[in-house]
Amino acid sequence: MIRVAAVGDIHMGLDSQGLLRPAFDTLPDCADLLLLAGDLTRHGTPEEARVVAEEVAGLPVPVVAVLGNHDHHDEKPEEVAAVLSAAGVRVLEGQGMVVEVDGARVGVAGTKGFGGGFVGRSGSEFGEPLMKEFIRYTRRCADGLRTALDELAGQGCGTRVALTHFSPVPDTLAGEPPEIYPFLGSYLLAEAIDTAGADLAVHGHAHAGTEHGMTSGGVPVRNVAQPVIRRAFSVYHLHGHEEPTTASASAGAFG
Amino acid sequence: MNAHAGNAERAENNVEYRIAHLQERLAAGELGELGMRVEPRGSAVAVMGTVPTAHCREELLRAVDEELAGLAVHYDIVVAEAAAPDHPEEVA
Repeated sequence: MIRVAAVGDIHMGLDSQGLLRPAFDTLPDCADLLLLAGDLTRHGTPEEARVVAEEVAGLPVPVVAVLGNHDHHDEKPEEVAAVLSAAGVRVLEGQGMVVEVDGARVGVAGTKGFGGGFVGRSGSEFGEPLMKEFIRYTRRCADGLRTALDELAGQGCGTRVALTHFSPVPDTLAGEPPEIYPFLGSYLLAEAIDTAGADLAVHGHAHAGTEHGMTSGGVPVRNVAQPVIRRAFSVYHLHGHEEPTTASASAGAFG
Repeated sequence: MNAHAGNAERAENNVEYRIAHLQERLAAGELGELGMRVEPRGSAVAVMGTVPTAHCREELLRAVDEELAGLAVHYDIVVAEAAAPDHPEEVA
């Protein structure tokens, strides 16, 4: 069994120092790794990133993160990622990482992702250059996620988790105004997850959404935005396959 | 007052536009707040959502007071909870 702790949208500012650390200090007792699903800061400044870094520095469990749109606002995402990395956080964008848990290999593939909407109600690569680039950017994020999940399967990961900030499914947006769904996620992320296969997909971004959802391929999805889960983090117990499966065979095979 | 001046005054007092301007301020200002729901409810305005800290709540109230001055406002603002969970979920 793999114990995955996750939270997103902690939106830390200079007034947030120490707020989450007492809860994070309990992680060794209840989780094997901590996932941070983006929007770790309010404006994406290096100063805010340092608050986040201090909150997780030295934790005895691996910490894996993706950035969110707030972490891009100051247009210094590389600096934000560097500050977090210096504190031991592995920041993913179109990449994966492997964590060893009691001899089992657990893979986490991450991308911020982006919007565009869901099947039948989505934008497309058509019209103005900005509109085309909007969707192409989401597609690049999704392609990076799929490739990373495929690589993790090839590296013998019996359990794989997809970590994004934007949502792959509309299920976990329930509670948000339907009109803004295209700004909250994209089916391209779910298609990537279902194509490559995963045991769990974790995202944030939708503060008024709901925790539980599922891709059309059957992968459980959890919205771990802190306003949704109403605690410092959630913990999910995964009972993944010990033997790696091929990406094509694994799509939808987990539940 | 000419007709155009009257239009400008009506637009300035238009509750929908005032709500939109408040949301723009919440996003672009100190709070960086995009997750707050601000909606007309009858003759009042409802402000609902979760903020990261008590300081953010104070800043939010100040912004709402200034942008929606003169309007009745119903608040339902929660400060994010920072306690560790008391149980895991078995994902099966």
